[in-house]
Amino acid sequence: MAEIRDLMIKVPSIRHQWLTFLAGHGLQDFPPAEVAGVDHVVGLYENDRLVGTGATAGNILKFIAVDASTPPGAYFNQIVSELQSRLAAAGQLHVMVSTKPQYEKSFHYVGFQTLVHTHWGVLMEAGTPTITQYLQGLSGATGTIGEHRSAIVMNANPFTKGHRYLVEQAAMQSDAVDIFVVSTDRSLFTTAERLHLVQTNTADLANVHVYLGGDYMVSYATFPAYFLASNDTIINYQTTIDARLFRDWVAKILHIQTRYVGEEPLSHTTAIYNQVLQKELPPQVQVKVIPRLKVGRTIVTATQVRSAIAQNKLSEIRSLLPAKTWKFIQIHQTELETRIKKGMTIRGN
Amino acid sequence: MAETEERLRRTMMFVPGNNPAMLKDAGIYGADAIMFDLEDAVSLAEKDAARDLVYEALQTVDYGDAEKVVRVNGTDTPFYKDDVRAMVKAGIDVIRLPKTESAQMIQELEKDVAAAEKEFDRTAGSTHLMAAIESAKGVVNAVPIATASQRMIGIALSAEDYTTDLKTHRYPDGRELEYARNVILQAARAAGIAAFDTVFTDLDDEAGLQRETEYIHQLGFDGKSVINPRQISVINAVYAPTKREIQTAQMVMAAIDEAHEKGSGVIALNGQMVDRPVAMRAQRVIKLAKASHLIDEEGTFVEK
Amino acid sequence: MGISKAALAGTLESSDIQITLSPAANGIQIELTSAVASQFGEQIKKVITQTLQSLGIDNVAVKAVDKGALDCVIKARTIAAGQRALGQKEPAWEVL
Repeated sequence: MAEIRDLMIKVPSIRHQWLTFLAGHGLQDFPPAEVAGVDHVVGLYENDRLVGTGATAGNILKFIAVDASTPPGAYFNQIVSELQSRLAAAGQLHVMVSTKPQYEKSFHYVGFQTLVHTHWGVLMEAGTPTITQYLQGLSGATGTIGEHRSAIVMNANPFTKGHRYLVEQAAMQSDAVDIFVVSTDRSLFTTAERLHLVQTNTADLANVHVYLGGDYMVSYATFPAYFLASNDTIINYQTTIDARLFRDWVAKILHIQTRYVGEEPLSHTTAIYNQVLQKELPPQVQVKVIPRLKVGRTIVTATQVRSAIAQNKLSEIRSLLPAKTWKFIQIHQTELETRIKKGMTIRGN
Repeated sequence: MAETEERLRRTMMFVPGNNPAMLKDAGIYGADAIMFDLEDAVSLAEKDAARDLVYEALQTVDYGDAEKVVRVNGTDTPFYKDDVRAMVKAGIDVIRLPKTESAQMIQELEKDVAAAEKEFDRTAGSTHLMAAIESAKGVVNAVPIATASQRMIGIALSAEDYTTDLKTHRYPDGRELEYARNVILQAARAAGIAAFDTVFTDLDDEAGLQRETEYIHQLGFDGKSVINPRQISVINAVYAPTKREIQTAQMVMAAIDEAHEKGSGVIALNGQMVDRPVAMRAQRVIKLAKASHLIDEEGTFVEK
Repeated sequence: MGISKAALAGTLESSDIQITLSPAANGIQIELTSAVASQFGEQIKKVITQTLQSLGIDNVAVKAVDKGALDCVIKARTIAAGQRALGQKEPAWEVL
C-alpha cells in the first residue's frame, strides 16, 4: 500500500523532486506566488518512489498529480482523502478545487459537486456547508416576488466614500441590496475590520444587507489572481469562473437581478473583471457600472488610502473617507503601519 | 507463561489499524498471527478512528485460526488507556506493548487489562500480553520483562527504534542486532514464552528475507514479523520441516500413543526414553508439517 | 439531539467510506455517493442511521462517499465522525 508523507518543499532537494514530478504530469510554469501560497504538501510513496502529490492552500486543494495506479484512481483517492482529512482535523470541512475538465469525473466520484464548468477549467466543492447551504443561511437575503434585488461584491480595503456612493446608487435604484464583503483574509485591513466598516457605514440604509462572500465571491478559490500577480489569460479565466458562479448560483438562489460595480479606470485586474462580468452575467443578471466618485478632481480609491497610511500622510485622505472609517484609521494607525512594515502589501486590491 | 499448549507463530503480520481494505483481507493470507497496529501506522489525528475501526472489524471479520494481536499506543500517550480498554472489550487475544523497558510496565499493563476484563465482563486472564523490546534498556531488562506476568506469551525485537537507540541503523547482515537477538531469545526460552524476530523491511529483496529468516530460525526464534503478505510464504518455507524430521516426529508420536494404549508410564523409542522436550519437539514438527501442508490430518505425506 | 460542529471521518480509499456530518434541524438526512448505491444504498443508509441514533444524534446532515465499505467499517466511521462532531474523546462504550 502506498504511504503518505509530508513533503517539506522548503528543503531544496525535496522541492526539486516535487517540481519535477509535477512537470512530468503537465503542471508547470505556475506563478511562484501560487507555490508560496500553499500551506501543506503531501507526497504518496510506493516503496520510496513518489507516485502522487497534492497540496492545500486554505481550504483549496492544489497541485494534485498522480501516476496511474491499480486499481485506477487509488492514488488519486488516497491523496484527496488525506488532504480532506487534514483540513477536517483543522476544522475546515468545506473543500474546493479548481481543476482541468478531464479531472472533473475523478473528483465527482469522490463526492465533489461541480459549481462551474468551462472548457478550460472546472470549479468544484465538497463537504459542508455547500454553496446552497451557505446561500440559504444568509438571513434577509431571500427575495419576494416582484422585488428588484441587487448585489455588490467589494473588498472595501478600507470602505471609502466611493464605496458609500456606489451602495447609495444601488440602494436608491433597488428594493434590496446585498453587499458581499470578500472573505479571503489577505488584505491590509482584516476581514473582520473590513466587514465591520462596511456594516457601520451602511447601517443607516434600511434596504442594504451586508454579508461575507464566503468561498464564492472573489475568494482565494474562485479568483486567486485578485490576490496574486498573474497574467491576463489567468485573470480572464478566473474572473469567468467567478462571474458564472455568481450568475448560476448566487443570483439564481437569491433572486438577484442586478449587479452593481464601480467603474474601474485604475486597476488592471479589476478592469478585466468588470469586462468579464458584463460579458458573462447578462441576460440573467444586469450589470450596472457606476462612474467613480470624485472629491474635487481626485478619483476616490482605497489604494490611495492605503498608500497614505504607508507614508504617514493621513491628512491627505481625510476627505475621501466616511467619518467612521476615518476614526478607525486614526485609532489603529500604528497597528496598520506595523502590518505594512511586516510585509503586508498595500498594492493590488 | 500463559499457555499450556504451544502455538505456531512463524509469522505475525502487521496490519495498519486505520486501513479497512487490509483489515478486511488480513485473514486470507495464512499468517499465524495478525497484529493490528494502533501505534506507528496510525497518524495522531486518526487514533480514535483506527481504534473504532479495529474494534468493529474484530466483531465481524473472520480471521480464522490466526492469533489476534493488537499493538496499542505507548503507556506515555493519551491513547493508551482507551486502546487497552477497547481491545479487551473487543476480545483481542494478545495486547502488544510497544517500547517496553521494564517489568513494571508489563505489570501496570496487566493491572489495566485485568480491570478492563472486569469492566467488560471478559473472562479473567483471557487477554494475553506480549512485549516489544525497542531500546537498549529493554534488552538489558529482557529477563524480568519476559517473566513479568503470567499473561505473557512472548517478547519481540523491534529493530528500527532499537538500532536508533544504539546509534546505528540496520545493515543487511544484521550484525548490529546479534546481541539483542540472543538476549531476547534466551529470555523468552527461560520464561517459556515465544520469541519473535523483527520485520524485514525491503519488500523487493526476497533473497535477503530468506537469508535473515534462515538465520533467526537457526538461532531458535518462533518466527518473524511481516509487513506484507508476500513475505509469509518465504518464511513458512524456511520453517517447513524436512521429510526426515517429520518421520522422526511421527514415530515419536506413535511411540507415545502406543505407551498410552498399553498404559505404560515409560515411553521409549529405539531404546531411548522419550522425555518431555523430545515429545514437545515432535508435536511442534507435526504442527509445522500440517501448517506447511506437507502432511494431511492422517499424517500421510501430501504429494506436490 | 443535534451536533454543534461539523466533522469528518474515514477515507476515500478502497473498502472505506468517508462520512461528513454537519449540523441540521430536520432529522437524519443522508446524501450518499457510491458505485453500488442502487444495490446497497439502503443498507448503507440503514447502518449510518442506526449508528447515529445509538450515539443519540437524530438531527444531522450526512454526506457519505462509499468505496465499497463493509458494514463494520460504515459503523466504525460513523462512530468516529459522530464522536468528533460531539467533541467526545472517550470511546462510546455503549455503541461499539
